[in-house]
Amino acid sequence: MRPENYRPVKHPPSHEYELYFGPNHPGIEGNYAIRVRLKGDVIIEAIADGGYLHRGFEKIMEERLWIQNVALVPRICVPDPVPMEETYSRAVEMIGGLEVPVRAQWIRVMLLEMSRICAHLFTFGGNAATIGLYTNMFWGVTMRDYFLDLFEEVTGARIYHMFITPGGVRRDLPEGFLGRLGNLLDELERRMPEFEDLFFESAVVINRASGIGIISQEQALSWGVTGPNLRACDLPIDLRRDDPYLVYPELEFDVVTVEGGDALARMMARRGEVIQSIRILRQIIARLPSIGGAIRSPLPNPLAWNLPVGEAYARTESSKGETAFYIVSDGGPRPYRVHVRGPSSMHAVQVLEKLLIGARIEDIAQIMFSLDACPPEVDR
Amino acid sequence: MSIPAKLNDVLHEMPGIKVRMMNERRVRVDLSPDTLPALLEILKGRLGYCHLSAISCVDWVQTDQFELVYHVWSHMLKTMVSAHIFISRQPGQFISVYDIHAPAGFFERDIHEMFGVHFEGAPNLNKFILTSWGGPPPMLKSFNTREYVEKTFDWVQYSPDWLKDIEAKGGGID
Repeated sequence: MRPENYRPVKHPPSHEYELYFGPNHPGIEGNYAIRVRLKGDVIIEAIADGGYLHRGFEKIMEERLWIQNVALVPRICVPDPVPMEETYSRAVEMIGGLEVPVRAQWIRVMLLEMSRICAHLFTFGGNAATIGLYTNMFWGVTMRDYFLDLFEEVTGARIYHMFITPGGVRRDLPEGFLGRLGNLLDELERRMPEFEDLFFESAVVINRASGIGIISQEQALSWGVTGPNLRACDLPIDLRRDDPYLVYPELEFDVVTVEGGDALARMMARRGEVIQSIRILRQIIARLPSIGGAIRSPLPNPLAWNLPVGEAYARTESSKGETAFYIVSDGGPRPYRVHVRGPSSMHAVQVLEKLLIGARIEDIAQIMFSLDACPPEVDR
Repeated sequence: MSIPAKLNDVLHEMPGIKVRMMNERRVRVDLSPDTLPALLEILKGRLGYCHLSAISCVDWVQTDQFELVYHVWSHMLKTMVSAHIFISRQPGQFISVYDIHAPAGFFERDIHEMFGVHFEGAPNLNKFILTSWGGPPPMLKSFNTREYVEKTFDWVQYSPDWLKDIEAKGGGID
């Protein structure tokens, strides 16, 4: 007979165990972690664990002048910093009623598309490395580096450009820049078949990425999936078309969609977007020389610049999806509130947690990289 | 610049709502907190506002209120509705809209962590970013970062060996 206070000890079944994946792990993007519960090698529960890259951007921005925040925002997403600069500046312009000169808008679109190519090349490389294809990683990073050379030439910096400012851009393009950009695009196009051979058509990639991390169209819409991840579910949704900004309505490009919704489809959607970004950049190279005029609208002294009372919500289609800034001004020299909405806040948390259930342990990295999540943007 | 007719009709069915066109594809509506869930349901069901882009929170100290802004986008009408509500800072509580828009789960968790607002019915309000933080919600205007740093870190006593070496050679921070 058992005593009255007898409570059987609850042990989890012996074949279940917990694994902490990250935050410093070759198969994880940035400093991020996932706590997974496994049965054998199959995941039965996944809990995302962020915060390793929290730098309090939103709080700091309330303490800085409107113009000073231009130096902070690109740091929110290292692989794709230009959309952060553009979205912040556009929200400030909406509140301040600033018109961006046409030439500056073309330069901004050029930088956005260059940044998209950089981010996708980086992702191809990272994704390939998770399944042991390191050559592809080196190639991706090398091609990205050539683009960073051009960024350095225009902006003076390789990653944190701080070039797009409220009202326009900091300076005009250097002499002969568009020619050099054209040459680099030729080189990228020449190398794309090599990427095809080594990565997109590789049997290893196809076998490892097919049928894992599948998102249905219904799930994608209800989970808040955006960007290439959404278009990989065959949904032609793109802010550059649906909620256009800058001079995108004047540019011809296709919204790349892929069927399948799995990790492979997401990679193929990014591959298609690189081709479309090249197409957009070619049009810019052809048309920009004939577009003259100022590169920024006149600003008052930026160190004593009070924006009127108001609020704005600006959105950009970044390489990772919908990037948005909600900014509130109380009429002072600093923002009263800045809310950064990064696409990875959905993809790296709720979506990833759901997709990992039922996946196998070796697919964690592949699924995460296929979502192209950016942990610093989740943590802010 | 005018509000799409279908949207205008739906918005004016809601009691006590104020509607303002912010730009050609964004409409701001101000309404009472009680009406918000119904508005989100109707917009989603009738006009395809199925994408919750974000929930933003603003701490208005002077009026002792939190402003919650629900940004929803319709792929059908290609228009954004930003629905603004104000709730009292004390106790700072509202209901979750997770059952209408699943992405709300992340935004409500974030607002709970950073502002302390409690969302009744939210699936998960555990800390995500500041797991080892024991202080007040840091995005509150009442939390002064500079004051906290001054109080927590004793800069005067900051004297590591490498700094002593530099000071001995005539250099230093000051």
